[in-house]
Amino acid sequence: MSQNRNSRREFLHKLCCLAASGGAAAMLPQLRMLGTALASSPALTGYKALVCVYLSGGNDAWNMLVPFDNTRYNVYATARSGVYNAATNPGGLALTQPTGAQITQQVVTDLNGASGSNQYFLHPSLTATGSSLAQLFTQKKLAFAVNMGSLVEPITMAQYTGGTVPYPPQLFSHADQTNQWQQAYASSTATVGWGGLCAENLQAQGANLTTNPQLPLSISISGANRFEVGAASVPYQLSSGGLTALSGVCNPTCNGNNGVRDEALNELLRAAYSSDFAGSYSELFQQGRDLYNLLSPNLVAYAPKTAFPANNSLASQLQQVAAMINLSHAKGYASRQIYFVELGGYDLHSGFWNATGGHASLLAELSGALSAFYTSMGPTDVNLQNDVTVFTLSEFARTLQSNGSGSDHGWGTLQMVLGGAVNGGKLYSNGGGPISGFPNQAYGSMSNPNPNNFSRGQMIPGIGVEQYAATLAQWMGITSASDLGAIFPNLKNFPSSNLGFV
Amino acid sequence: MRACFTATAILLALAFAPFANATVHDQLFQGRFDLPADAPVSTNAAARFLTQATFGPTQADVAYLMAQGYSEWIDEQLAKPATLGFPVVEDVVNARTNGGQKVGQTQRLNRWFWQATYAPDQLRERMAFALSQIFVVSDASSAINQDIVPMTAYQDLLAADAFGSYRNLLGDVTFSPTMGKYLNAFRNVKPTIVNGVQTTSPDENYAREVMQLFSIGLVELNLDHSPVLQGSPPAPVPTYTQPTITSTAKVFTGFTYADAPQGSGPPNYSGASFYGGGLNFTSESSPMACWGSELYPESGTGSGNMKHDVYGDDGTTATGKTVLSWFVGGVMQPNQIPANQTCGKDVGDELDIIAGHANVAPFISRQLIERFVSSNPSPAYIQRVATVFVNNGGDLGDTIKATLIDPEAENPPPLAAGDSYGKLREPLLRLTAMWRAFNAVAPAPDAYGEIGMTGNTNFEGSYGQGPLESPTVFNFYTPDYQQPGTLADNNLYSPEFQITNAATMYSTANSYYGFTKGAYQGMTSPPGNRPLIDLSTLTANVSSPAAMVATINADMMYGSMSSTMQSTLTNMIGFLGSGTSAQEKAWSAIYVTLLSPEYAIQR
Repeated sequence: MSQNRNSRREFLHKLCCLAASGGAAAMLPQLRMLGTALASSPALTGYKALVCVYLSGGNDAWNMLVPFDNTRYNVYATARSGVYNAATNPGGLALTQPTGAQITQQVVTDLNGASGSNQYFLHPSLTATGSSLAQLFTQKKLAFAVNMGSLVEPITMAQYTGGTVPYPPQLFSHADQTNQWQQAYASSTATVGWGGLCAENLQAQGANLTTNPQLPLSISISGANRFEVGAASVPYQLSSGGLTALSGVCNPTCNGNNGVRDEALNELLRAAYSSDFAGSYSELFQQGRDLYNLLSPNLVAYAPKTAFPANNSLASQLQQVAAMINLSHAKGYASRQIYFVELGGYDLHSGFWNATGGHASLLAELSGALSAFYTSMGPTDVNLQNDVTVFTLSEFARTLQSNGSGSDHGWGTLQMVLGGAVNGGKLYSNGGGPISGFPNQAYGSMSNPNPNNFSRGQMIPGIGVEQYAATLAQWMGITSASDLGAIFPNLKNFPSSNLGFV
Repeated sequence: MRACFTATAILLALAFAPFANATVHDQLFQGRFDLPADAPVSTNAAARFLTQATFGPTQADVAYLMAQGYSEWIDEQLAKPATLGFPVVEDVVNARTNGGQKVGQTQRLNRWFWQATYAPDQLRERMAFALSQIFVVSDASSAINQDIVPMTAYQDLLAADAFGSYRNLLGDVTFSPTMGKYLNAFRNVKPTIVNGVQTTSPDENYAREVMQLFSIGLVELNLDHSPVLQGSPPAPVPTYTQPTITSTAKVFTGFTYADAPQGSGPPNYSGASFYGGGLNFTSESSPMACWGSELYPESGTGSGNMKHDVYGDDGTTATGKTVLSWFVGGVMQPNQIPANQTCGKDVGDELDIIAGHANVAPFISRQLIERFVSSNPSPAYIQRVATVFVNNGGDLGDTIKATLIDPEAENPPPLAAGDSYGKLREPLLRLTAMWRAFNAVAPAPDAYGEIGMTGNTNFEGSYGQGPLESPTVFNFYTPDYQQPGTLADNNLYSPEFQITNAATMYSTANSYYGFTKGAYQGMTSPPGNRPLIDLSTLTANVSSPAAMVATINADMMYGSMSSTMQSTLTNMIGFLGSGTSAQEKAWSAIYVTLLSPEYAIQR
């Protein structure tokens, strides 16, 4: 284990050094991946950004998008332990089938679907007037990737139970599945994320347009995350409140004793340290100071004009992303950027229907934040709507079956992709493997087995995370098969490396 | 066992007495001038040890440790009763409520920081903090964030059990209503069967995390924490599978408040209310009751009250529960909990099985070493500590003693390029150590009996960590985090770096500024919501910057400050403007030290 832990990291890291040092890459044709990109003429044009919205805790996604036709709706309602009713069925997790005006508000048609089974309804929290994701779906700006999960390769129920095909380690565990989604690689020993590796590839392709200080292509508004960890890079992190000056020193201008303290601090941060811990700390602190000085004079002036919902943590984070995108684009810091934001609270083992903190309130927060962000990218504001794509990740969907007041950890789930470049209005549920389409939600029993679905309604995914991730990576400009293979080691196991939603 | 914690808590509450420095002085000069065999070689060595073992060395503690020696100092600390928060926070919360004041986590946190800074049972309080990062509950969860007093009781539980057996701690944690609410064992009920079809299943949250995070982890381990490898190609062996979780979830069913009305007895048990109880802070903090067959019949009249699953794997018949296997000699040895047992017996059996798993010793030992000593202990060090854990029946007092007196903890290798010894200090501990180094004096209690400590700081937001404030059950950082760059390239673990970034570097520093420049004795209009540090050990030497730096080196950095850093600080003090007050010279030196890379690490 210890021998392999860093093999992928070291390999890529060495590659970066080789590429940076020039000709060595050409002498080793098998190591061409990043070298090729460097050597070729700049392939990256214009500006593009990916925004990863991580829904942590395991979003109960089968309640975001529900089959509307009676046949499939009834299967859904039974699987979810019945329609919720505070008095008569408090343990039920099923949403009510829309009627009357709710139909106009909530129901959408999947342009990829067959007539008779192509209608779905969105959770009412996603369809509020003014922030309706149903509307964005109908306008073809929003797509759903359906029944996707961490996989090693496509697998069926028989192969899973027979143990004939490898499947990911530690399914159903938050920490591991979070890592596997953010790695797009079902490994418990990997240490790098696909956002970070994509950023390093894009950097090798010339996406970073500044030096000294260099703004990392990966930026997090929500702290450390596996997604943006590269072989040799970490994201720049700032808070949703923006940048705050460092007390008692220069920021960067100052006078008097602040200047004296500043000089001492700089000396300490720039000194060489034998301890790797001290060295890493000073490097991180110094980088933070350099980037503060670069960004702080203008960040506030480049805030989006669009109003973002108040008391909405995700909205505050996305508002900061909009400002950073606006500033970075205007100042030409980078031609490609990858952002990370996060909304927690989805681990609803209980309190599923709570007015505060329940699933409906989380989805309302999500919907309000996403639609405000999409608006802010519009032509009257930041004006990069076709160049910014937002997508969700979450470690798993949850058991369809109730535990009495919530649901437990599942596997296959669905995610949303939003942006002007998205081929929206469609469900993407075919990864070319043996399981495809919107899954049958009846859970299996001894007498009535369902090949997609374990006994409590945990779906076997039809699409691997790397298929979804590679689709987004290609949109960003990582197109060579060998580059994709280096970032997504198991992508070769899947029939398709591009789902076509963007 | 369930009654044990409450009884202990009362005894300990009676024994509690405020810290008095005078006793230290008395003991020093009671005719014991002979030095103990394991006395620290220097006051710096003593201060270094206290940096590992406490919330920071004070001059008094250094002197006391010099006289006691390591072993006796530890033994004395192991014997000290827990300083408790419950009685104090309960009084403050009641007084504020009666006075029409809002109540929030601030009340709990003020007490936590007071104990960290002033409690005499320093090792126990440090251990409780370390345990709170393994057995995580958090005010980030809406399930408990209004439970100010019960969360304080949970912290007390960790302190009271800190040096007892691991199995005892695991039991008290499992029956804690705060943990129950945080990970959903509270009011978790047996499967619902409608017309012979199971329509709901028990919640799996506690069943999973008690194994993944509180005891054994995900893969079978050797005693030195390396993974067992089996098969071809050799691969780690998972400790359990999803069916294990589903069956184990059935064990953790039937819990509710101890004072939930259990009814008038057979046959109808009228008045029984599983969803009742929790009428006062004591009942909200007392071990949960379990509504199993010890209270109600398994079938017939009254059986509806029985919320514990007495059956087993298929939920409807008496098949027993197939729970965690032990891994013995490379082979899985299955464990079954029989059907039709009482809840108490079921849970007791389950916790015995978990505590009996061979992974517990290396899994817990490694994390204790990471919290107290170093992020990258050698396998031999882990194995030495884990061996003590095994040989002494999981005694946590013996385990922490073995952690602290190990040669690898006591003797850092000489500093040379590529050094990876030690760890990044937790940002909270950097704060408490500074307070203790400069004898910070807490403000007097306010009208509600509360002592302000936190300066209303949002610790989780500013520092990336706060006591019982982790964003998830996975703690602020994971034991396996590797900071990309030099550390990861050298395959080094660095948990605390997971909360260290450009944003938290600034917010932590700004908070330190408010606790130094903004809070020292003798300042005009001092704040009333945080302790004031005493700058006199520095201002006494204001004419000699080098002497000021020497004091900082000894009191904050156990003499480890490099000569480069010493001259940087000395020059800085000299360069401060001519009108600069002695106090500003002093706090400037402390503040810049707090931000420095050398203070940030412990080695």
